[in-house]
Amino acid sequence: MDDRDLYLALLETARRLQPLALATVVRVKGSTPRRVGSKMLIDGEGRAVGTIGGGCGEAEVLEAAQEVMRSGTPRVVRVDLTEDALSWSPAICGGVMDVFVEPVHASDAGGEPRGPRGRSSRSGRSGRGSDRAAAG
Amino acid sequence: MSGTRAPVLSVAEAAREIVAALDRAERAAVVTIVSGPSSEPLGRRLLVTLGSAIGHLGIPELEERAQELARECLETGERELHPVTVGGDVWELYVESHVPRPDLIIVGAGHIAQPLCRIAAMIGFRVTVLDDRQEFARDERFPEAARVIVMNPDDPFRAVPVGADTYIVLVTRAHKYDYDCLRHLLNAGLRPAYVGMIGSRRRVRAVFEALLRDGIDPGQLETLRAPIGLDIGAETPQEIAVSIAGELIQHRRGGSGAMLAEREDLLGRVKRKQERGHHGRS
Repeated sequence: MDDRDLYLALLETARRLQPLALATVVRVKGSTPRRVGSKMLIDGEGRAVGTIGGGCGEAEVLEAAQEVMRSGTPRVVRVDLTEDALSWSPAICGGVMDVFVEPVHASDAGGEPRGPRGRSSRSGRSGRGSDRAAAG
Repeated sequence: MSGTRAPVLSVAEAAREIVAALDRAERAAVVTIVSGPSSEPLGRRLLVTLGSAIGHLGIPELEERAQELARECLETGERELHPVTVGGDVWELYVESHVPRPDLIIVGAGHIAQPLCRIAAMIGFRVTVLDDRQEFARDERFPEAARVIVMNPDDPFRAVPVGADTYIVLVTRAHKYDYDCLRHLLNAGLRPAYVGMIGSRRRVRAVFEALLRDGIDPGQLETLRAPIGLDIGAETPQEIAVSIAGELIQHRRGGSGAMLAEREDLLGRVKRKQERGHHGRS
């Protein structure tokens, strides 16, 4: 899954008016499982699309995501994976990463910026990616 | 498209604009405030594409720097956190580029093309399948492809632009067709990122001989991957597709293709270290 796939999932989920949070790795130190820019989308029930750590350190981010959805305020979560190095977790991790967690407001995805929402704006958007997504 | 008067560019609006830019095969850069002395502006973002800039950060000095960083990032394709000091306060701007998927052109819509198309789409290529046979070049045979095109064998790449970020895999039904495509690419002076051609040792050698006989510069053939794929002992079409996909990733990301266990030899290192420790104590 690349960013484009994740954004399509984000737009699709947000359209169904579900609370969401987006987590992005913004800084890494040492040997981390994923690179800067890796993303994970989290819904109100803790389900995730994409990965920022292949299992490593994701629990902390999932927790922060719930808090961010409640408060509406983005924040940076520092995930220290160095303590995990000798545990029997499914992936071998090390290093430290900073993850920016921000809320995705459900109403954002309803239509074009400043445009009316609903069916008319959905049909107006075809030809700009949503139909290409279906073809690709 | 011009949302500059909107108070804040939301995540979803940015996502939609990025997807639209990528689908136009354009780059996009996003600058987001991720930390600073006050929580209120966190998450504000600026999105810059080739011809437009939308959203704003609400802090003029930060905004100016963000514009610069975004323009740089469009060029370099980087993803990085930048500290910016404004009047004694340190803000952190996360700058992220989005680069369109590289194109993969699979020439030959046969039994290897089908699994390869599926895997390549999964690993982030925009796949185009070409074949001169209408009954093979059909959308329903390649649901993951962006385009399936019936090509003219005399001018195979007419409908598909070949650029510096294009990957080409030649897996046609006969070596004559692979050879014709290759000659066409070389004669047209096209310089794709990657060209691989399937074939047995004997057949690949025959193609090289024929091309050199035709006066093709040997330097032009050095980047050709033939026979295509990594050596994993692949036998079935699906396995061969994995072997080819492995080589595509290896070329794109710059790996060696070696076995990590063999290359790192961590067991050997641990054993040697323990032996040294033993000798040290005795």
